Amino acid sequence: MTWTWRGLRPILESILAGIIGLAAGALIMWGWGYAPWPAYVALFKESFGSGYGLASALANATPLILTALTFAMGARAGLFIIGAEGMMYMGAMGAIALSLLRLPAGLHTLLALLCAAAAGILWGLVPAVLRAFRGVHEVISTIMFNWLSHFLAFYLVANVLVDPVRAEKTLSVAKTSRLPLLMRGTDLSLGMVVAAGLAFLAYVFLWHTVAGYEIRAAGANPHAARYGGVSPQKTVLLVFALGGAMAGLAGAVEVMGRPPTYAVYSGLTNISGFGFDGIGVAMIGRIHPLGIIPAAIFYGGLQAGARLMQMEAGVPFEMVRAVQGVIVLALALPELTRIFRVFRQRRKGGEA
Amino acid sequence: MATFFLRAEGLTKIYPDGTVALSGVDLTVVAGEVLGLLGENGAGKTTLTKILSGLLPPTAGRLRTPQGPVRFHSPKDALRLGIGMVHQHFALVDTFNALENVALGLGGVSFPALRRKLEELIEKTGLQVPLDVPVEKLAVGERQRVEILKVLARDVNLLILDEPTSVLTPVETADLFRFLQNLREQGKAVIFITHKLKEALSITDRIVVLRRGKVAGEVETKNTTAGELARLMVGTEIELRGRPVELAVEHTVQTGLSAVRTAEPVLVVKDLRVRSDTGELAVRDLSFAVHPGEIFGIAGVEGNGQTELVEAICGLRRVEAGRIILRGENVVGRSPPELYRLGLAHIPEDRWKYGLILSFTVAENAILGVQRERGFHLAGMLRARAVRNHAAKLIQEFNIQTAGLSASAKSLSGGNQQKLIVGRELAKDPEVIVAAQPTRGLDIGAAQFIRDLLLRLRDEGRAILLVSADLDEVLALSDRVAFMYEGTFTGVARPAELTPEEIGLLMGGVKAGTK
Repeated sequence: MTWTWRGLRPILESILAGIIGLAAGALIMWGWGYAPWPAYVALFKESFGSGYGLASALANATPLILTALTFAMGARAGLFIIGAEGMMYMGAMGAIALSLLRLPAGLHTLLALLCAAAAGILWGLVPAVLRAFRGVHEVISTIMFNWLSHFLAFYLVANVLVDPVRAEKTLSVAKTSRLPLLMRGTDLSLGMVVAAGLAFLAYVFLWHTVAGYEIRAAGANPHAARYGGVSPQKTVLLVFALGGAMAGLAGAVEVMGRPPTYAVYSGLTNISGFGFDGIGVAMIGRIHPLGIIPAAIFYGGLQAGARLMQMEAGVPFEMVRAVQGVIVLALALPELTRIFRVFRQRRKGGEA
Repeated sequence: MATFFLRAEGLTKIYPDGTVALSGVDLTVVAGEVLGLLGENGAGKTTLTKILSGLLPPTAGRLRTPQGPVRFHSPKDALRLGIGMVHQHFALVDTFNALENVALGLGGVSFPALRRKLEELIEKTGLQVPLDVPVEKLAVGERQRVEILKVLARDVNLLILDEPTSVLTPVETADLFRFLQNLREQGKAVIFITHKLKEALSITDRIVVLRRGKVAGEVETKNTTAGELARLMVGTEIELRGRPVELAVEHTVQTGLSAVRTAEPVLVVKDLRVRSDTGELAVRDLSFAVHPGEIFGIAGVEGNGQTELVEAICGLRRVEAGRIILRGENVVGRSPPELYRLGLAHIPEDRWKYGLILSFTVAENAILGVQRERGFHLAGMLRARAVRNHAAKLIQEFNIQTAGLSASAKSLSGGNQQKLIVGRELAKDPEVIVAAQPTRGLDIGAAQFIRDLLLRLRDEGRAILLVSADLDEVLALSDRVAFMYEGTFTGVARPAELTPEEIGLLMGGVKAGTK
């Protein structure tokens, strides 16, 4: 409940993991004959050394914070929700659909965000109900719903929300419902403030409210939670709803706050992958809402710096991806091992 | 006894935590004989068989075969000498059939050869096992036969069965006994572990009774009676921490019984029927009542439905039929918080499963179950100070040793974990307290603290349902004690009115008045 030295341990672990990951990445580059030092300098100079680079790191981080929250909320309740990806597509569709209406600025933005959140919640409803009342495992159902969402969004992009002038994309989000940019000439929008604010709220919710206490209890020891009067069904429904709202908003900020197009391309190229990357971000952030913010910024920075690492240090793109993969894996490892230990213990009835 | 198969001499086992499970046990196993091993919980039956089958090394003493002394480093060594054990819990691959499950333990066998061997074994022993059906489709009794076949396939001469009938229906039990007789006729040795007197009398040739890690007696089955076995099992003197039980009983007569006569019962269980996780009837049409100012004890060997009974009363298990009346209201189907508001507190049997969330802090654990009560939250926001004050009060009142309110429950010792649970439950100011195995695993000081507390709560006029596998404890604390056996009570009585023989009979499944 309070900050003690034990609260710092995960942070120290993560820093150590990061160092190990960077070293392993350096070793890979060195082994293939690329100079690691200039490559890393280029990577971090681009992403964190300039205002523009930092802004794009933050812009990249915005949807990741939200999809990571979806996974983290679930994991805290003992659920393995892989469905942020599909929920996010639906959120993006919802935001675009609502912007077809004519409404005053401000109100329009707010309603578009709410509509996206509602779309995300709705998309999680079936897996949630199946899990709560029929015991269908959420990994299976959310993966299936990701594919349903994928093809439904394909259809909507190409047939329903399609831009009559440019068939390769949807209609652009109306000016009145766009998220204002925080920095001219960059992609950084008010969405980042929304995402970070929600992460903080998620922290307060999980650690300082009765409902959050019950969610964490259900995740840490479902038997004791039941003994303590926590309804497993309500917990599942609540967590799926909150997670769906977050992921839906991730779709919204991506279309409402990303210049220049403010739209979804056919093939979903500009909104796909965030749901799955969010799982990695949640792991790096130790499935803690406050840990997710720096984790997402770091992850977003890696994406932003990849270009310069390629150009300045001459490291081929595939190698950049490999090195970044190693770093991310190292950072996620402490939480991955913990999660799997907990899940294994839970299956045996007790807890870690 | 001219030809023995295996002999144990002076076996002693002291576990790392200091528990003496066996001390100086001698045992002789003879070929062509079914040897019964009888004793209540904690008598040392399981430890003894684990040593015989090579799972555990003894602290002192040795095993001897006619060829000389032997030392087992693993169950493989024991198997090499023809000693195999069938455990209570099955270790089968559900999706494999019997043949595949048997092959799994053997390694590198040809299936046709194995099939021929198993068919031969089945014919010789009369052990009916379908070889080609996946294990998950088999009944419990059939699965047990697969386990037995697994052991027999390794040319075993001594078969050890740990409480084999606890999962069987009467028909399956009869089949098992017929099979054991076949084994005996073929000159194999069998060790049959049980706590059921009737079974021990009907299938064994010789019975060794264990009590508190020692051999309490060895008898020829044909020369003994249920009464004698019961006496050996329970002993003549029942003591609680060196204090004769009579003391507590006297205490009871003074304060408890008058209240029992006058007050209306606050907890009534009527024709209750509850199923276990595996779907078998665990509680069979059970009825009883607990009055204010009394401790109603439930004794009995574990696994006779006590766990399911407690979970049903406390709102954690579905009730199939019957009623549970708490202070005048039928509470079947109510959730734990609703029961708490009606005045029920539950000290659960498994502190790590139900009692605590080990990764949570002491403060967080202190409000488990009352987190939605006024005072601990304001419009859904936890009031951190109120929570911490509450926890601090428990720590002080119950003298809980902890590094602080923010220490994890994991970091507490077992005794302090239990005190935290007990404190939390008593802070609810309950009228009815269900205490399941409240002193299990605790050191003597902590156990005594809890026992004294239960007596004090009783004297304050609260009703206590005490379920304990510790016979001495339940006899010493209870005003009335019931003996649970296969889901029903074999008898209910005041502890002072029972003879050790009667206690043993009731524990072993012989109903009061039918001996």
